[in-house]
Amino acid sequence: MPAKSSYTDSVKDYLRLEHTIESDVVRELNTHLEDKSHELIESGLSEEEASITAASLLGPPRVVARQMYEVYSQGSWRQALFAALPHLLIAALFSLHFWKDTIWLFGIVIAVACAVIYGWCHGKPAWLFPWLGYCLTPVIAIGILLIYLPGNWTWFAAIAYIPLALLVVVPITKKTIRKDWIFASLMLLPIPIVIGWMLALELDDTLIWYEQLQGFASQIALSFAVLALTAATFIRIRQRWAKVGILLILEILILVIVALGNNSAIGFGGWLLLVLLSLMLVLGPALLERKIKASDQKQLRLYNKSAR
Amino acid sequence: MHYKRELLKGSTDSLLLCLINNQPMYGYNIIKEIEKRSNGYFQFKEGTLYPALHRLEKAGLLQGRWQRLPSGQERRYYYITVKGQKAMVERLATWQDFSTAVALIIQPATG
Repeated sequence: MPAKSSYTDSVKDYLRLEHTIESDVVRELNTHLEDKSHELIESGLSEEEASITAASLLGPPRVVARQMYEVYSQGSWRQALFAALPHLLIAALFSLHFWKDTIWLFGIVIAVACAVIYGWCHGKPAWLFPWLGYCLTPVIAIGILLIYLPGNWTWFAAIAYIPLALLVVVPITKKTIRKDWIFASLMLLPIPIVIGWMLALELDDTLIWYEQLQGFASQIALSFAVLALTAATFIRIRQRWAKVGILLILEILILVIVALGNNSAIGFGGWLLLVLLSLMLVLGPALLERKIKASDQKQLRLYNKSAR
Repeated sequence: MHYKRELLKGSTDSLLLCLINNQPMYGYNIIKEIEKRSNGYFQFKEGTLYPALHRLEKAGLLQGRWQRLPSGQERRYYYITVKGQKAMVERLATWQDFSTAVALIIQPATG
């Protein structure tokens, strides 16, 4: 029954839930279509007509999938807190001036590593992705630090570093997008903020940037506190469009804090570039997901062809 | 029609809990039973039933289990939980109070 399988395939495409829930939902809808088709065949319809009618009576797959997504997309308060925790730790690091304390820094690195390993091995729940973002942030931060190398060393280092960095960032982002692109957006959220603050500091002069960091500490803490609020709200909201909206709005609000905090050191042009980067990081994963799905389907078709 | 839809939307959870409290059922079964028992008055949009069932399951009021029918096919049966039974009793009491109050207002005033 092609109508039945195309219907459940469409639902599956829109669902974006955990694999076990997804297969349960699809299996259940399949049984419903079976029963309904059977009833319609008994009432005199042909098998094909019955299959098409049964699918249309269930309603548009996109709507069914959206309603189902909204049942499961809301995380608990505990999950929201856990998603906000890495950002809260960074906020505490700066508000309490613990960024000078090696034990605190080491503690945060250990916490991030433990949370990422645990979450990755336990079905990649939604709270994992803000933690995962902090595994990628140092890779980007080191890239920015290369700007401050003397002379031509910047270029040599960049040539060597960029492929290495991409080797780390691309597979993780791709895997996250395969789960759901919206999690990749959540994961990449701190990157423009970290870049913004790094550009605000005069990193080539050790004395100055250390002083500047002390001066900016409360604003840096505030920006990460808002980031924590963003992650928690994201987990608690059911609707997908609202999740994307909250990421965009609060990210831009944070960038306003960054711009005001560093006394326009990055300038309006720099700020606009950061906003553009944020838009790219929040919405770009959606486009990448389409590409990944298209290439997956192409590979599947090739595989089926060769299997025949 | 819109008013009827809104009324049904507000009572879906209570109707489902009541029905499943009588005996465990699966989706298609539920649609048919509701239609039969209400003499065709309640006609569920089929696609909205499953999200409602899953929402009640996530809230811990129902529990879904795959079971094999005598024909060999498998269906996802929904069972009411203790929490679900408590919620159903509360909702029914509220509904009865509400319908009594509505009836009191609708009936012509006496004296």
